[in-house]
Amino acid sequence: MFHKIFQTLDTKLGFEEAKAHCDVPCGIYDPIVAQISALTVVRMMDLMAGLESEGVARDNSMSRYIAVKEEHAEKAKHEVRIIWGDYIKDQHVEAHPELTGVVHKVMQLGSKVRQTADREAGVAFVEAVNQFAEIFWATKNVKTKKAKAPYAPALETVYPDL
Amino acid sequence: MLKIIKITGESLSPKYQTGDYVLLATNIRPRRLRSGDVIVFQYEIYGQMIKRVERISPDSAQIFVTGTHPHSIDSATFGPISPTNLIGKVIWHIRKPR
Repeated sequence: MFHKIFQTLDTKLGFEEAKAHCDVPCGIYDPIVAQISALTVVRMMDLMAGLESEGVARDNSMSRYIAVKEEHAEKAKHEVRIIWGDYIKDQHVEAHPELTGVVHKVMQLGSKVRQTADREAGVAFVEAVNQFAEIFWATKNVKTKKAKAPYAPALETVYPDL
Repeated sequence: MLKIIKITGESLSPKYQTGDYVLLATNIRPRRLRSGDVIVFQYEIYGQMIKRVERISPDSAQIFVTGTHPHSIDSATFGPISPTNLIGKVIWHIRKPR
C-alpha cells in the first residue's frame, strides 16, 4: 500500500534516483577454462613422456608440447585469478574459509608444472583447480558432480550438475 | 530534513531492489553512522548512489561502503567516500511488491 502511494507521488513529483550500481561487464564466470587448461598441462606431460621420434622431429614436437604446457599452466592461473579478483567477495571467503588456501595452492602448483615435467604435480594441479571449481559453484548454490573428462588424460573433473 | 529517493540497480539486492523507495534523514553526522546503515551519497563518476556502510575511519573522515551483490561497485572499487558527499541515511524502506 505504501509503495503504491509513493509510486503515485513519484509520477507527480518525480523523485530523485540513487543507483545501487553494479559492475556487470557480462556476469559470466566459469572455472571450466581453468579446468580444461589444467588437464591440458597433464596431457602435454604425457605426450612429452611418450615421445618416441628422434632428432629434429623430436625436438620440434618436444618444443611444441612444452610451449603448450607453459601456455595452459599460465592460462589456468589467469582464469582463477580473474574469478578470485572480480567475482569472489568477502562473504564467499567467510562461507568457504579454505578458499584462500586453495587459490594459493593453484598458484604454486601452476608454477611447479611449468618448472618441471612432474606428472604428480600436474595431477595435483588439476585437483586444486577442481577444488576451486567446487567452491565456486557452491557460492552460486549450484550442485556439482565428478566425472572423468571424456578425453585424455581422462582425470576426474568437477562439473556443475544442472 | 527528509528526502524520498527511488532506487535503481541491484547492488543491494535482494533486500533493496530497483523500484523500491527510501526515506532519508539528510541531517546525519558521519560520526552517528554505524556499520550496516544504508546511506545515499554523491559520487562524481556514478552520480547519486545507495550503499551499505561497511565501516567508518576512527576520525570519521572516511566512510567505507559496500553492496551485497557480488558485482557491486563500492569502496573495494573506488575507495572510501568523504562525509561531504553524504546525502542521507535510510530511515524507512518502502519495498516494491515482490
